[in-house]
Amino acid sequence: MIDCPEAVRRMWSYLERALEPTPTDELETHLDTCQRCCGELEFNRHLRAMVAEHEGAPNVPHEVRARVDALLAGDGKGGRA
Amino acid sequence: MLGWIVEPLIAPRIAAPLANEPDGTTPPPTGAPEAGTRADFADIARDHLDRLYGFCLRMTGNPSDAEDLLQETLLRGMRAWPEVREPARARPWLFAIATNAWRDTARARARELVTTTLDDDADEFSLFQTIAIEDPFPYSDELHLDFLRLFGDEDVQAVFGSINPAFRLPLILTVVHGFACKEAAAMLDIPLGTLLSRLHRGRKQLERGLWEYAVANSLVTVTDEEGDE
Repeated sequence: MIDCPEAVRRMWSYLERALEPTPTDELETHLDTCQRCCGELEFNRHLRAMVAEHEGAPNVPHEVRARVDALLAGDGKGGRA
Repeated sequence: MLGWIVEPLIAPRIAAPLANEPDGTTPPPTGAPEAGTRADFADIARDHLDRLYGFCLRMTGNPSDAEDLLQETLLRGMRAWPEVREPARARPWLFAIATNAWRDTARARARELVTTTLDDDADEFSLFQTIAIEDPFPYSDELHLDFLRLFGDEDVQAVFGSINPAFRLPLILTVVHGFACKEAAAMLDIPLGTLLSRLHRGRKQLERGLWEYAVANSLVTVTDEEGDE
C-alpha cells in the first residue's frame, strides 16, 4: 500500500494515463481509502485544466499571419523591419 | 532577431530530397507528384498555425523570438515535407520540428536549458496542502477552486514563464497541447521515465510559482510566518 506522498507523486502521470498497470492499481487502491488524496487528485484536474485554458492558443498577430502566408506562398513579400 | 526569409531559400529546398539513406545517398523518388507539395504543406501549416504559434510563444517567452522560431519551424517543415507527407501525423511532426529548432537555437545562444539537477525530486511543495493550511478564503465552500479562479491569462503565463524550460516543455506538450507522454518523450528525445520525472518537477515549480505569485501580488493574504519585528 502506497502512502500519501507517493500517491501525490503519481497523480499527474495517472492523469496523463502514463502509469503502468501496477502503479495505477496501487494508486487507485490508495484513493479508495484516502479522502484527502481524492481531493488533491480533483484539484490537480482543475489545475491542469486552468493551465491548458490560459496557455493554449493565443491569437496569432495579424502581421505574423501575413508573413506566414507570404512564406508559405513563397511570393517574396515576407520580411520584418 | 531573424528576418523573414521567403525567397530564394524555399523553392529549391522544397524540391531537394533529403540525403538520408544509410550510405548517404539521395533516397529514391517517392512517386508523389511534385505539383501540390508546397500547397499541401501550406494547408497543413495553416491548419496548425494557432497552436504552433502558441507553442513557440510559450517556449521562447516573447513574441519576437516566437516569430523567429515559428519561421524556422516552417522552413524546416517545408524542406522535409516531400519526404514525409503524412497529414495524419503532421501535428506531432511540426511540434517535434519546433522543439528541435528551439533546442538548436538555445544551444547556439549558449542558453542553459537545465539549470538545476533534473532528477532531483526534492521539491515536495504541495499547493493543495498550502491552500488548506493558509486558508485564504475562510468562508469559501470551494477553497481550492477559488484559489485557481484568482488567476487570469497574464497571471498564469507569468508563472508558467518562470518554470525552468527543461520542466516547462513537458508541461506544454502534455497538459497544454494534449500529447501523450510517450509522444512528448519522443519529441524531446528522452526516455519516458525522464519525461515523467520532469513533468513532476514542472508541476512542483508550477504549484510553488502559483502560490508565491498569489502572495507577492496580494491575491491572497496569509499569516506572516517570517515573524514581525
